[in-house]
Amino acid sequence: MRIVILCSSAYSETACAVAVCLAKSGYVPVGALALSTLGRGTLLRKLGQWGVRGVTSYARGKLISHGDGSARLSNPYLEPVLRHGGLVFRSLREVAAAYGFPVAVCNNQNAPDSIAHLRAWSPDLIIFTGGNILRKELLEVPRLGVLNVHLGLLPEIRGMSSPEWSLLNRVPVGITIHFMDTGIDTGPILQRCEFSDAARCETLSDLRNRLIAFGVAKVADAVAGLDRGTISATCQSDLDKDNQFFVMHESLQARAAERLTKSRQAAVAGTVHG
Amino acid sequence: MTDSATAAFIARALTEATGLLRGPQRIVPLLQQVVSDKLRITFEPRHLYSYTSTKRASGATLNSLLHWILDAQRPDGGIAAYYSLLTGYSESYPEVTGYLVPTLYDYARTAHDQGGIVAAERATRWLLSLQMPAGAFPGGLHGGETQPSVFNTGQILQGLVRAYTETKRPEVLQAAVAAGDWLVRMQQPDGSWSGLGTYQNVAHSYYSMVAWALAELSEGTADPQYGRAAEKNLNWVLSHVRPSGWIDSINLQGHPTYLHFIAYVLQGILECGILRRRSDAIQAVEKPAWVLLRKFETNKYLAGTYEPDFKSGQRFTCLTGNAQMSCVWLRLFELTDDLRYLNAALKMNEMLKQLIPARGRRGIVGGVSGSYPVWGRYQPLRYISWGCKFLADALLLEQRLTGSLEGFAFEALPCAS
Repeated sequence: MRIVILCSSAYSETACAVAVCLAKSGYVPVGALALSTLGRGTLLRKLGQWGVRGVTSYARGKLISHGDGSARLSNPYLEPVLRHGGLVFRSLREVAAAYGFPVAVCNNQNAPDSIAHLRAWSPDLIIFTGGNILRKELLEVPRLGVLNVHLGLLPEIRGMSSPEWSLLNRVPVGITIHFMDTGIDTGPILQRCEFSDAARCETLSDLRNRLIAFGVAKVADAVAGLDRGTISATCQSDLDKDNQFFVMHESLQARAAERLTKSRQAAVAGTVHG
Repeated sequence: MTDSATAAFIARALTEATGLLRGPQRIVPLLQQVVSDKLRITFEPRHLYSYTSTKRASGATLNSLLHWILDAQRPDGGIAAYYSLLTGYSESYPEVTGYLVPTLYDYARTAHDQGGIVAAERATRWLLSLQMPAGAFPGGLHGGETQPSVFNTGQILQGLVRAYTETKRPEVLQAAVAAGDWLVRMQQPDGSWSGLGTYQNVAHSYYSMVAWALAELSEGTADPQYGRAAEKNLNWVLSHVRPSGWIDSINLQGHPTYLHFIAYVLQGILECGILRRRSDAIQAVEKPAWVLLRKFETNKYLAGTYEPDFKSGQRFTCLTGNAQMSCVWLRLFELTDDLRYLNAALKMNEMLKQLIPARGRRGIVGGVSGSYPVWGRYQPLRYISWGCKFLADALLLEQRLTGSLEGFAFEALPCAS
């Protein structure tokens, strides 16, 4: 199966981990298309998402090597996947060099030259790990479609801040691997996996990191299942319901964090007493 | 534009322009505000994560808004309509003075500030002095129009009902009942108000605000005739709801449909619906409120005007309309427990708080400009008292509802089923 990875940056740990998992399962990608890390759009998005301090810290972590020559990962749960010999993969280029596939960089994944690039790889499947909102023209490039790992259970929680909204709305935390369409998380579902370790998470970012690692591990299985024909996608029900959620304000995030803490305390109490 | 509207526009433009000649000291704050807004719109990118964190405390902003309102109160008790960067403070505005009364009482209660109560009582006394023998109140600024106005009477009625609830003074009740009786007499058989006493002599769906005032009067007096009149208008407004959620008959001939008026329609229907226990009215508001919520969440921006069916309008921000939508979303959160309404309102309030001048001279500091940027089409180059009123209402509601989140029954949320 010819697989291409789309990512928000060549330094995306998630994209690196997906590429490694696929390669280890025998599905070495035929290429990866990353948004330019220094592109205005990427920088603005990351500044908005993490703030100046977060971006600085991220850049420092990527650029400064540690004693063992590895980089510090912002998601420590990906380290087992990204560890390669004595080192840890720092960028998609390093993964590409190790497994032998090309990495291209663009400023907009929907731009005509990006789409031409993708067509040249004639992919069966594209795996989206981040970047622009994808337009119809791009979605139609791969034979099977574009897969996304959504950090919430569909169709209940669509859109942004899904783990946090799941906590506040008492929806089980989990991930959904689904094909993308022109809606927001409305495409056919390939796999829905509940995450049972939420109660072990210390913070919301810890929960996110664990969910990402959980999703990465599931992607390779889903691709294999799709290739062997053992799983198939089913269209979402409830498309008429507006289950879209948006980025959560910090005061509600604090409530979600409280909910997480209470779950952890309940789990600890359960362990002690039970 | 009709000839009379053109003449009025030219007269207003000339008055504003000569304002700087009469008060040349105003050139500095004018230039400061224009440059500040130009820089802000040039360099401040809006993205999905905008307004998700608190940069200015709501309590401090609320205090500065109330100081602006108190500064705008004249010795007679009336509150100026606006502070113009060209001409300074306007005359007192009976309509806004009236519906500022509930805000002043709410603020006084929340902030334990007697200043709010004193200002509300002075405002009420001034309003009583303006009431016409028939029970109506005049439209326009004080000293201008002498014609009775349905809409302004309704808005002032809100203040009178609240003032009576707070003070139990019989003359306030008497004035409120006289205003209510006049509104009932002026109502058309179909439930609308049109002709004499209405803007441009036609019926408007944003007069749902009048229905809200009548519903309040009915609650306050236990007299069902006002409630019946309120519901009659509510039914008329609801007959203008399109499948898209757009509500027709705002009917501002010669003007675009500003967000302020769209939000008026929604606030009026919602609050009247709540008081009259009309679930159909509340459901009718949910659709347009959700359409505007999605637009705000996606673009971090609501247009200053909209075309029918919420097609995109002009690219300036009507701050008052934004604050009103925040109120609508907060009330819908209160009714439905859907946290997405609260989330959008919190972000909207963050945006609005950032646009309140923290420094500057009296009339500017703590004020809400008509438009952002300040030269936008809605009330250009002015800080308007009703903008302060609606943002103060939104922040007061935010404080009340986020405070009550401590005991919020998260288990009972209906969304995402």
